[in-house]
Amino acid sequence: MKIALFSDIHANLPALEAFFKDVETRNTDAIYCLGDLVGYNIWPNEVIDEIRRRGIPTIAGNYDWGIGRSSDDCGCAYKTDEEKAMGKVSISYTNGIVKDEQRAYLRTLPAHIRLEYQLNHDKRNILFVHGSPRKVNEYLFEDRDEKSMLRIMEQADADIMCFGHTHQPYHRILNSGTDGNNHFRHAINIGSVGKPKDKDPLGGYVILTINPDSTVTDQDSIKVEFIRFEYDIEKAAKAVEESPLPNEYADMLRNG
Amino acid sequence: MRIALFSDIHANLLAFKAMLKDMDSQKPDAVYCLGDLVGYHINPNEVIDEIRRRGIATLKGNHDEKVENIITTPESLTEPGKKYAYHLIREDNREYLRTLPAHIRLEYKLNGEKLNLVFAHGSTRSIDEYVLVDTDENYVLDLLAESDADLLFVGHSHKPYHRILKSADGVFKHVVNLGSVGKPKDGDPKGCYVILHLNADSSTANTDSTEIEFRRVEYDVEASVKAILESPLPMEFADALRLAK
Repeated sequence: MKIALFSDIHANLPALEAFFKDVETRNTDAIYCLGDLVGYNIWPNEVIDEIRRRGIPTIAGNYDWGIGRSSDDCGCAYKTDEEKAMGKVSISYTNGIVKDEQRAYLRTLPAHIRLEYQLNHDKRNILFVHGSPRKVNEYLFEDRDEKSMLRIMEQADADIMCFGHTHQPYHRILNSGTDGNNHFRHAINIGSVGKPKDKDPLGGYVILTINPDSTVTDQDSIKVEFIRFEYDIEKAAKAVEESPLPNEYADMLRNG
Repeated sequence: MRIALFSDIHANLLAFKAMLKDMDSQKPDAVYCLGDLVGYHINPNEVIDEIRRRGIATLKGNHDEKVENIITTPESLTEPGKKYAYHLIREDNREYLRTLPAHIRLEYKLNGEKLNLVFAHGSTRSIDEYVLVDTDENYVLDLLAESDADLLFVGHSHKPYHRILKSADGVFKHVVNLGSVGKPKDGDPKGCYVILHLNADSSTANTDSTEIEFRRVEYDVEASVKAILESPLPMEFADALRLAK
């Protein structure tokens, strides 16, 4: 079973279209979207429509949460005053252009999706969240303390946890077994389709492969592939520059 | 948000195609399949291929699970009997069926309160347990509490219903049986599936905040019957489609 996972499109339609073109060549069996469809670019309605048209199971990101409720707070952790000012322009612009029907869709997205497996007489849960199981806008970076990461996954009863939000992809394998019994858990950040922040401007997503003999005691029983794909970055960057959005967002797309 | 839910296709390709056509015209925002793609009919691979091609989030049903114990030899495909329906399934599709999840859960936080939608084939306790319209109310409430489900969607019995139960703490819980796309057993031979309408006010506090729409879809039952009669499958399977029992 091959499952495609993507998130953090952030209203970047050229990147989303390129993602669909790429994923269609890879014969995946299921596809899930882990949120943040909108914000930072000019195509929030079009991105929502493309995802709805395909009937893709989707969870709410922090930006979707904000826009769905016509809020001026996207729950983003901007550090500087300059970032805060730019963020204000983006959420106000997005609230201004998102249509009622698309806003209602964002408003009624679930917070989490959980797949409960019973493979080989072994219970195994795959949990999809946007930020963390505790909060839609919590950042789970790769260097997070191992104990803290394991506690979050144990509390959420997640053996495989997939999330986005940081726009920096990684796969971390942690062992929560006791008394010499292995219990491997996987924390997978799936990167970002439309606003990568890992110095690589290409769009990113993940293909997760579940083997039929998959168990929690074998750390290699799932495969995680990080896919990067080219898209028309200039088109997405120019769209930002020709809009009321801050030009800095265009440079971020060019530089990843 | 409109979510389409269907199950129990049972390799009936004509019924499945008719259902997909109707579903596509309804433009749902998300689609889930609650299992039993195979068994009883001659087109398991075509049904599985289409579900995989569309990337539909799908659960394992008891018939999908049954395939794990089927050993197929070249002679198997010439032997009359009900096992023919499973022998037909290609190896890559058997692997797909084997790696399907048992349950899918959507965890909502719509109005500061949780609202959990749980999808299972039979029940959350067992892949082949029947949760029927007249299953004891306290038993069903226990089942819902144990799996932390506010809205439970199941298939398996091929008899559609929507039941609202009031729990001990005064909130309303829903149990919905989706009926069957390819082998209805409620006397109506038309295929059946569900569209769930969720809105920003959906909650367990009142009964009318979520709408369950049952859609019945006509298809060429006689052509589907004929395909069974011309196959090594038992002819009772053909009668069952005509009579919807």
